Amino acid sequence: MHPALQGILTILVGVGGCVGYFYLSNQFLDKVLCPPRGKNAGRNINRANIIRPWLFLLPALLALGTYLAYPVYETLRLSLTERSTLPDGSTAYAWAGLDNYRQMLNEPKFWEALRNNAMWLAVVPALATGFGLLAAQLTDRLKWGNIAKSLIFMPMAISFVGAAVIFKLVYDMRPIEQEQIGILNALYLNFGGEAPIAWLTVPFWNNFFLMAVLVWIQTGFAMVILSAALRGIPEETIEAAIVDGANPFQVFFKIKVPQIKGTIMVVWTTITIVVLKVFDIVFAMTNGQWETQVLANYMYDKLFRSNDWGVGSASAMVIMLLVTPILVWNVRNARREMK
Amino acid sequence: MKHILLAGAAAMALTASLAHAEQVTVFGPWLGPDQENVEAVLAAFAEASGNDVRYVGSDSFEQQILVDAEAGSAANVSVFPQPGLAADMASRGFLTPLADGTADWVRENYAAGQSWVDLGTYAGADGSDSLYGLFFKVDLKSLVWYSPENFDDAGYDIPQSMEELIALSDQIVADGGTPWCIGLGSGGATGWPATDWVEDLLLRTQTPDVYDGWVSNEISFNDPRIVAAIDEFGVFAGNDDYVAGGAGAVASTDFRDSPKGLFSSPPQCYMHRQASFIPAFFPEGTSVGEDADFFYFPAFASKDLGKPVLGAGTVWTITNDSPAAHDLMAFLETPEANEIWMARGGFLTPHKGVDTSVFGDPTLAKMNDILLNATTFRFDGSDLMPGGIGAGAFWTGMVDYAGGKSAQDVADAIQDAWDALK
Amino acid sequence: MDIAGQKSSLSWAVNISVVLLVGLWLFPTVGLLVSSFRTSDQISTSGWWKAMFPSEQNLTLRTDAPELQVQEGNLYIIEGRLFAPDKDAVISEWGVSSREIDSYTAGDTAPLKKGGEVTLQADGSYRMENTEPFTGTRGTRIFVTATTPPEFTLRNYQNVLFDPSNSEGMAKAFINTLTVTIPATIIPIVIAAFAAYALAWMEFPGRALLIAIIVGLLVVPLQLALIPLLKLHNEIGIGKGYLGAWLAHTGFGLPLAIYLLRNYMVGLPRDIIENARVDGATEFQIFTKIILPLSFPALASFAIFQFLWTWNDLLVALVFLIDSTGDTTVMTKQIVELLGTRGGNWEILATSAFVSIAVPLMVFFAMQKYLVRGLLAGSVK
Repeated sequence: MHPALQGILTILVGVGGCVGYFYLSNQFLDKVLCPPRGKNAGRNINRANIIRPWLFLLPALLALGTYLAYPVYETLRLSLTERSTLPDGSTAYAWAGLDNYRQMLNEPKFWEALRNNAMWLAVVPALATGFGLLAAQLTDRLKWGNIAKSLIFMPMAISFVGAAVIFKLVYDMRPIEQEQIGILNALYLNFGGEAPIAWLTVPFWNNFFLMAVLVWIQTGFAMVILSAALRGIPEETIEAAIVDGANPFQVFFKIKVPQIKGTIMVVWTTITIVVLKVFDIVFAMTNGQWETQVLANYMYDKLFRSNDWGVGSASAMVIMLLVTPILVWNVRNARREMK
Repeated sequence: MKHILLAGAAAMALTASLAHAEQVTVFGPWLGPDQENVEAVLAAFAEASGNDVRYVGSDSFEQQILVDAEAGSAANVSVFPQPGLAADMASRGFLTPLADGTADWVRENYAAGQSWVDLGTYAGADGSDSLYGLFFKVDLKSLVWYSPENFDDAGYDIPQSMEELIALSDQIVADGGTPWCIGLGSGGATGWPATDWVEDLLLRTQTPDVYDGWVSNEISFNDPRIVAAIDEFGVFAGNDDYVAGGAGAVASTDFRDSPKGLFSSPPQCYMHRQASFIPAFFPEGTSVGEDADFFYFPAFASKDLGKPVLGAGTVWTITNDSPAAHDLMAFLETPEANEIWMARGGFLTPHKGVDTSVFGDPTLAKMNDILLNATTFRFDGSDLMPGGIGAGAFWTGMVDYAGGKSAQDVADAIQDAWDALK
Repeated sequence: MDIAGQKSSLSWAVNISVVLLVGLWLFPTVGLLVSSFRTSDQISTSGWWKAMFPSEQNLTLRTDAPELQVQEGNLYIIEGRLFAPDKDAVISEWGVSSREIDSYTAGDTAPLKKGGEVTLQADGSYRMENTEPFTGTRGTRIFVTATTPPEFTLRNYQNVLFDPSNSEGMAKAFINTLTVTIPATIIPIVIAAFAAYALAWMEFPGRALLIAIIVGLLVVPLQLALIPLLKLHNEIGIGKGYLGAWLAHTGFGLPLAIYLLRNYMVGLPRDIIENARVDGATEFQIFTKIILPLSFPALASFAIFQFLWTWNDLLVALVFLIDSTGDTTVMTKQIVELLGTRGGNWEILATSAFVSIAVPLMVFFAMQKYLVRGLLAGSVK
């Protein structure tokens, strides 16, 4: 069979199966199990109404349970056990208490990853939100604002692998006697730098060169959302301020920003979550070397290179721990909304 | 005569297996030109056996094989570049021992057969030793590549000893050139080229016993003798005058990029120490033997350590048992399988029964000479160490060293990582 | 008018800052795009921002081999041109030794080390003369400093897309990627839409708790799920393949999908739904006839997100999809392979990176209107 045909067939089966479930299960509920007719019509309608939400939710709950909740549980379990192979080839898990965590805390690489993650958390959400707000405000009343916005938003569509290649070219370094093909070194030499620098290998500062990639990707997201929030501010408040003699900067900082504070927080936290999970950029550009390790990459290293599942899972739990405040905040917001 | 007999035996083995044509999957580290080479070998097996043979290569072989084996979805046959990793996998019960008699066959038909048997024999999950791996395709590591015409232009001679090599390096610096191109970059495996340097230099400064003790960690990684070998590497890589781009560029330069400096105009460097596979990354149209050539990475004349040679090889193992997988192993024992790849280039083999006249280019014969003239042959140590060291802490440690950390600190950190594994 | 003057100077400032900002954001991508149309020599000798100008390169070229020499009187002659016939280049300085690559200028005659001499013109044509026959198997190396006009080429794209050694792989990978991407986009939407409707408009015990859990799951890092799930897939017989990849993408994409869609659906006018209920429509009908059409922007927005994410994904494909037969390889894997084997070749890197981002970019520009609308519904509250 031609692969394209096979592809289409697989797609049809996959999508069809999913749509079919919802249609048939509802039909079954309405026609067979609890038909809203006959002498039990009233009772059946009530029963159907109790069952139906779970019918609607079932696939989602199954998928969420298997693909997200179960791994969290499994990781917690692995982080507290030590794995070994028995003579018959099967694997045994022995309770290890907090040994894995202790071992992890003794590793300098872990602390390096934690420190770097803290820096990422401090810098990336702030810069991306800041640039996003700036871009949103500047393009707000511009004729070509929409074009400008989609160009700034474009990096969102680029894969991390693609972005890594793009920025490797930006940071490229050639020996001094050759012409630089990386724009950063070319500019650096042009503005009085003495020798080209391998930017990604300068400890500490290289973290910021990696962060730049994520800021570049995430700014568009922040901009789009903040720009809509800015549009949502009632005209009257702004006009009133202008009449009172406020200059554009005062209008922006004293009137607009306070009014969209909630949205800024949402954007900030969303980017924070992305930052905590950041993996691909570091993996593709430095692989955590030259002191650029981050938690997600440290975990990957432990899991797949050192083959140390205990410590790998322990570091995964640290990531979980770090996102917990955001999780709680999210949940509280969601509950407040419900009321 | 023996040749024909062997071929006949193989052919018979293969016709016997024709009865049960099945799918054989092979997973290995080769991509690009080498992928075509290995596929040519496998195609010959497919044709002879009637099996459907599929090869998949991966740049992140070391990680992917772990994921697949853990989950139970490994290929039938996996080709490990690091015997150390294969030993790990064997101890966790992921490998199937090779057919009975394979060890005897290797002993008989491979040059230095016993050492290849030892390298392929690991303890299984139950702790007992068996032969799990067959070596097929060997690389020579102790080579220095150069451009003969550039040497000619500058009037340099090929150094016969390490002292002469260092003198030549100083000479090149004095003439206003840069002697070496060194690059450690290799994506997720960044750092490995430096481990070869350290191993080569350890073999040139200490006896083979020290090397063996170091590989098995009976001699600890932060032993002064090992630290000295790391610093010996620093003599080359840590010297701004010696390395194209300066010492700071070593860690970040891609190993695939760095040999190109030999061929640029003006030359960025005159020498490049790398294994026998590196011509695949020379600029397009470079003819090995004419535009580029190599010499033996020499030993110190002042030390009586003979002519040590560092090598490596890929070990073929069965990660998902099937009769056809064993048939494939049997096929790899035939001279034909070796000769297919030999003819395509970049392939050395310890197989004594092959027809060496089929070598794709004359340089391979020269490499074979280096191999034969060696007084000591040692397998790449980092490939024998546990994966977490040989494909982990050692790599990152060398990057740290190239980045300016002291050899002692780096060696201490690697030993700590090793202790943590025990 | 003071105010007007101030206003226009401010608007100038705004325009200029936006131009700068956009420039800054575009610059890296443009660099890669331009590089993908240049030859590897050009890329490695001059920055891409100089692509529009003639560039000066140091090249190592070779004359014809001695076997092509002709005898004129008592002189042995080799004549020819160093460049390919269709290449324009102007040589300024040159040399015959790698130590002295700039000792002669165009038109000079230089003695050769092995005897005889060579004269080289600015256009690359040369004439070698010797009283003895030239020996050896290869031509002489000539090092030139040449200025070549700006030149763009499609050869990189030809190599990546149509070169027989990888075009088959690319075409297959393209279809495979679509086979992964389309269901992995649609299935979570369908599942999430039903779930979101239940969470938004149906009353049942535990609703608030469920919403909280889903919001919590938004932050679970993907990497820790890989091994437990692959094991599970093997135990229940899915193994590695499309089904597993769809399910994995569905699982990982669901929290965001449900979160976005529920937020959007909650905002739909209550009256419409109440009226429909009063009119006797079943919940299934309300959902398919009213809610789905009204939620189109949010559905489209998530679809684009999920599409971009699955198209660009490598990790899930490696772990859940690509089995040992290699039949199910995807674009990103193909690109990463190219990176691995051609790591030093910027022209290949740049081109393959662009090939991989072309489809997402097209989808993105065609649909960004919806993307924005749905995003807003999800996050601005």
